[in-house]
Amino acid sequence: MATEQEGTGGDARCWDEERYRKSILQERELRCRTVFRTAFAPSQNPNPEILVVASSDGSLSSYSLPSCIASMSQYQQLDMVTNQRTVADPLSADPLSIIQAHKGPTYDLKFYSHGENNLLFSCGDDGRLRGWNWKEILSSHIVVDKKTQGNLLKPILDLANPQHEGPWGALSPIPETNAITINEQEGSVYSAAGDARAYSWDIETGKQKMVFRGHTDYLHCISARKSSHQIITGSEDGTTRIWDCRSGLCTQIIQSGRNLKSKLSSWVSSVAIDSSESWLACGTGTGLSVWSLLSYECIFSIGHYAPVQDLLFDDNQIVAVGSEPVLTRFSINGATLSQLKCAPQSAFSVSLHPSGVIAVGGYGALVDVLSQFGSHLCTFYCMGLDNDS
Amino acid sequence: MEANEVARPTAHQLLEETRMEMEDVASKMLFIKQEGSSKSELRELITQMSLHFITLRKVNRSILVEEDRIKAETEAAKGPVDTTTLQLHNLLYEKNHYLKAIKACKDFRSKYPDIELVPEEEFFSSAPEEIKGKAMADDVAHDLMLKRLNFELFQRKELCKLHEKLEQHKASLLDAISSRKKFLSSLPSHLKSLKKASLPVQQHLGISHTKKLKQLHAAEFLPPPLYIVYSQLLAQKEAFGEKIEMEILGSVKDAQTFALQQVNKENGLLSNLDNTKLEDDAPDDDEDVQRRRKRPKKNVVKDSVDQSGICQLHPLNIVLHVYDDEDTGSKPSKLITLKFEYLVKLNVVCVRFEDTNEKSDSNILCNLFPDDTGLDLPHQMAKLYSGDSLAFGEKGTSYPYKWAQHLAGIDFLPEVPPINVNGDHLNAGLINVSDFSSGLALYRRQNRVQTILQRIRSRKKAQMALVEQLDSLAKLKWPSLIYENVPWALHAPLCTLQKWSPAGLIPDSSFSASIAGQATNNVDLDMDRRSVTSWEVESAREDGELPTALPVATMPVDAAASLLSEPLQLVDRSRSLALMSKNVTPMSMVKTRSFSKYEDELELVLDSDSEVEEQTYSNHLNENASSVVSKPWEDSAAKEFDFILGRNHGKDGVVKLNAKVKISIEYPLRPPIFSLSTDSGHSEWYNVLRAMEAELNLHILRVIPLHHENFILAHQIRCLAMLLDFHFDRHDAKRKSTTSVIDVGLCTPISGMILTRSVRGRDRRKMISWNGVGCMPGYPS
Repeated sequence: MATEQEGTGGDARCWDEERYRKSILQERELRCRTVFRTAFAPSQNPNPEILVVASSDGSLSSYSLPSCIASMSQYQQLDMVTNQRTVADPLSADPLSIIQAHKGPTYDLKFYSHGENNLLFSCGDDGRLRGWNWKEILSSHIVVDKKTQGNLLKPILDLANPQHEGPWGALSPIPETNAITINEQEGSVYSAAGDARAYSWDIETGKQKMVFRGHTDYLHCISARKSSHQIITGSEDGTTRIWDCRSGLCTQIIQSGRNLKSKLSSWVSSVAIDSSESWLACGTGTGLSVWSLLSYECIFSIGHYAPVQDLLFDDNQIVAVGSEPVLTRFSINGATLSQLKCAPQSAFSVSLHPSGVIAVGGYGALVDVLSQFGSHLCTFYCMGLDNDS
Repeated sequence: MEANEVARPTAHQLLEETRMEMEDVASKMLFIKQEGSSKSELRELITQMSLHFITLRKVNRSILVEEDRIKAETEAAKGPVDTTTLQLHNLLYEKNHYLKAIKACKDFRSKYPDIELVPEEEFFSSAPEEIKGKAMADDVAHDLMLKRLNFELFQRKELCKLHEKLEQHKASLLDAISSRKKFLSSLPSHLKSLKKASLPVQQHLGISHTKKLKQLHAAEFLPPPLYIVYSQLLAQKEAFGEKIEMEILGSVKDAQTFALQQVNKENGLLSNLDNTKLEDDAPDDDEDVQRRRKRPKKNVVKDSVDQSGICQLHPLNIVLHVYDDEDTGSKPSKLITLKFEYLVKLNVVCVRFEDTNEKSDSNILCNLFPDDTGLDLPHQMAKLYSGDSLAFGEKGTSYPYKWAQHLAGIDFLPEVPPINVNGDHLNAGLINVSDFSSGLALYRRQNRVQTILQRIRSRKKAQMALVEQLDSLAKLKWPSLIYENVPWALHAPLCTLQKWSPAGLIPDSSFSASIAGQATNNVDLDMDRRSVTSWEVESAREDGELPTALPVATMPVDAAASLLSEPLQLVDRSRSLALMSKNVTPMSMVKTRSFSKYEDELELVLDSDSEVEEQTYSNHLNENASSVVSKPWEDSAAKEFDFILGRNHGKDGVVKLNAKVKISIEYPLRPPIFSLSTDSGHSEWYNVLRAMEAELNLHILRVIPLHHENFILAHQIRCLAMLLDFHFDRHDAKRKSTTSVIDVGLCTPISGMILTRSVRGRDRRKMISWNGVGCMPGYPS
């Protein structure tokens, strides 16, 4: 509501058409923006405090959950007083801080806990993998409407995907990085890139340690199996591959995207490993499948389902979201436990806090935070960077 | 007894004696009794006693006889006394009567002192002899008086005769006057005809003197707001050569009487006010309102009896013709005609859209500026005054737009306090209601006239361009593009426009339903029957439910609607309901039921609760209607269209894309919003469709230059066609061919034949790069 007041161009008395036009476009842009990843910031507090959001305008923004929840309930109390149901708009929350992390969409972000110093890694469509000092991001207190502020913060680490050289030295475009995963023990970051390869980077030196070649199409997702020094990648080509980190060789190919009934294979959009690192869940364009990492056998596979875009393990349940406004829980043997409505029409990210709070982010710049019992704690629009020049 | 004692002492003495003796006897008897001896004495005593009794009785009788005698004597004496008192009374009465008569006579006054008589000297000098000579009475003074009276009478009679004569003269003069007046009154019409006859000459010579004069004269009687409108428009016209024309219509005479009434009322009000001020110093607002309410009853202008009190119009109104200012020809084309009216009671200026030739949309001026639908009254005073009874838009096409008030110099406080108080808002807050004169400098500085005229022009032009585009679309032809420096202008669409139908105005669900009903009749016969009917069902359903605020796909509109209401509902109910049951959402009802069977032991509550949930869900659908209404101005007078793009795929059959376009009245400032869906409703396409929407609704807007923005709809449609061709073509191709590793990462522009990488990113976006224009699809950088 506040943004509207601010954005309009006034009336006949002091008409500012440009401003009004811009405000309309900004509103549109907000509705077209996608939240690609949400993550809870690590903290000592058992309750979730800060939620970091990576969205398609390349911004990394952090939100204070308690204040969001408070303003949400305030908002609703206000509604009860006026006796009107203004449910049309989830509130648009003001971020604690916002930085321009990437040019083009930011696809993934991960926290690297290193004692007191937490690092935040992000990757995006510009093929960069950047590490930020989490404290600096938080303490920067960047106000949304200051345009230049976004660039002031320098990343600690800035890694770029290599370009491929073609005939006569022609360089291919920089492939994007779609997902990252972190292995703290090894001190390395793994990125799933758009050139069908996964890369391993050393955090200390910033050098590229290993390249994992083998997929035939670009990579969607990556996950580390730390106990056995393996990484698992999912690709557009419909396969999930398991790689050995030390040798860089592919140890197993899982045709997780292949649908048994129709011969067409679908892309693998997301992979997740449970805490015991013995189960693998793959989200595909038609559903999801769960594999045993011990025997590499398919436990179950669900097809004829909306494309799954992100999933994770919650103990021995699988929480999956996709291009439907629902959050589905499956048991390990394939039974649908529950389906919860969530705000984004197409959800790209689901993240779990140890306390059981789940954040879902997706299309429309919407983030929906659900309590461990499934009630909606708050739903908000993420503000974007005002970099429209 | 006492009287007897007094009147007759002897008898009484006798009585006393007897009594004493009797007492003696009695005491003796008592003594004897006490002694108890000699009963013989007792006998004697008894006889004594008896004797005494006899004497007692005798005395008593004699007393009574005496009394009777005295009574008779008194009776006899009473008669003469009575007669004498009667006589006395008669005499007294008579005396009073005479006294009264004497007093009346004494009080009698003659009339003559009242009659103004000629003074005596004059009488003697000027009275004729016949009056003076005749002796009329013995008394000299009386005689003189009579004579004088007679003379007076004589003189008055003479004067009467003179008066009559003068009356006659006066009548004759009046006659003459009236005949002359008649001539005078006929003179203006003669002059008018003369003037009329001279008009062609004037026009020929290019002096529109008379008309201007007349207009200026009429302008004097305009109410202040309309006067400001007129004068400012006139100033703008004369100063900057704006291509506008103004006319003042309505009867000046009525305006004159109205103004007169107004003045009288003011005076009356003032005296009233004084009175009330004597009574109490500060009459509070309530009284004020009441007084105002009373007013319409008292004085109603004659010619507006049919208008209900509060909607009373001022007899004068202004007609404004706006001409195209880009037209360089000698005779500029007229764009729009507006009529400004003034509601006297409400202090509101209304704008009526007057269209001469076509049945154009009367809402054309709606939302000329943000949040200005013209459907309710602009300021609180009027709202308070009129109550809820008034609804604009029903009666004719006259709307109280806010910009009209601003044009008329009526500034008012916004209804809601501006949250972010910047300088402009602060200013707006400081100007108070109906502060005409002091605000005029500000008024000019704000360029109100120019702004509004520009907005009106651009609105009209945009609407004309829109009508043109819609016409071509209604004929299922691709709208033509003037600006060709965009890829879709050169692209020959492979798909076809299969259907185009209006879905009606957004707030009017019943109307749109009927339109949808009509649309069934227009369905092309060669179209796939089955899909058509399914589409019809879908569109009818969606029309009934009103679209949501989010520009989401049409397919899951229900989901979105209920979803948005969900958080609220959940929080509302969280205190009263079991936590577990809320995991179940209405959307997944069917699925939930099936597995809740084996979870019955765990959650017995679930089933019953979910039924409650289902009910509330349906309630929410209804409530959703009201929730959208809560922010209605953007949707006001917006139009919605449904259309289908079809693409023949040979063997594969037809790919159909359903699209819904919402065209706001603010077009092109608020560009049309597309929402897309496929027949299958499969969410596999969801991201692709959203990417296309983003392209249409947002990104290409930045590509099209401002001066072509009136044709933005055409661009959007053509772009959609191209995107459809591209996406669905590519999709098939991708499925057939395999991509090689080498090619991956080397993307090619759209025209390329080698298929390399077609999707990118986590949302599997198609990679498009507009050749030459440099628009990175998907996301703005």
